Amino acid sequence: MISADTTLKHYFVNHEQQFDAAKLGMWLFLVTEVLLFAGMFVAYAVYRAWHPEVFLQASELLDWRLGALNTIVLLASSFTVALSIHFVQKGENRKVLVLLLLTLLCAAIFMVVKYFEYTDKFSHGIVLGAGFDPHGIIDGKDYSKYNVPYAAQFFSIYFVMTGIHGVHVLVGMGIFGWLATRVARGHFSPQWYTPVELTGLYWHLVDIIWIFLFPLLYLI
Amino acid sequence: MAHSHHIIPIRILTVVFVVLLALTVITVITARIDLGVLNVPLALTIATSKAILVALIFMALKYDNKVNLLAVALGVIFVVVFLALTFADTEFRGSMGITEPAIVEPVPESSGYDSP
Repeated sequence: MISADTTLKHYFVNHEQQFDAAKLGMWLFLVTEVLLFAGMFVAYAVYRAWHPEVFLQASELLDWRLGALNTIVLLASSFTVALSIHFVQKGENRKVLVLLLLTLLCAAIFMVVKYFEYTDKFSHGIVLGAGFDPHGIIDGKDYSKYNVPYAAQFFSIYFVMTGIHGVHVLVGMGIFGWLATRVARGHFSPQWYTPVELTGLYWHLVDIIWIFLFPLLYLI
Repeated sequence: MAHSHHIIPIRILTVVFVVLLALTVITVITARIDLGVLNVPLALTIATSKAILVALIFMALKYDNKVNLLAVALGVIFVVVFLALTFADTEFRGSMGITEPAIVEPVPESSGYDSP
């Protein structure tokens, strides 16, 4: 157990100030993350405004059931993270550990679903870049009929956006695994749990990005 | 060092989670029904509502030092500027995007450029 004093840097007046500074720093980082994704959302918006009918048609090839499943999985993981912060503030570290591992599990489920979605698309010629050549029939949909101009742009945007989002999920999994070992080693207390709080903020942002990606790519 | 942060009650977190799930169901159902021009605005409104709920409660912006909210607001403003200025270009290009040979006048051979 690290005592509260060793967690307070000498250049801060007190824990409150240190905590607020760390949190503001994290929020500023999250703003840069929002702007990173904004570039891709703007690309989506421009291409959609130019070719609305192509985007509408191409989105039919993404399975909304899998997208909805992943939305629920990520919302559940956001819930477990929020609960883990509730319990770390109360010093109930066993519950924190269980909740962080549940979050890790949700993130893993998300990536497994994404893996099946990607490989299914790859095997039917829907890839990122010049190799785009949809073919085959799935669920009564003849993929070759979707080989229209600008369909490749839709799927390029799909792969880049969900790919970069997926990288964020993988990074989150790494951090949650590391946090879980620190919780198990008793590093956090109601006086000091900054890493849990900041990771929680990061994870909620990853959730928010998906909240927008799901309808834009799968539904409308 | 005794200091206390706002601990968000489990009841509130659970209510938010259930509302988020309900909104997900609503967005799926409304997207399956063809609402014409309303499809996109409705889906975006629901997504924005979900994002605001996550930011205010799960990310505790509602209970935090307001400087964090300011940082987020500035970020959102820049996203809007980014989108608006980009559309001010891409939506007003007139016939620049049309490249069909039948419409575009062929470039004279003598110009030194390859005609399409």
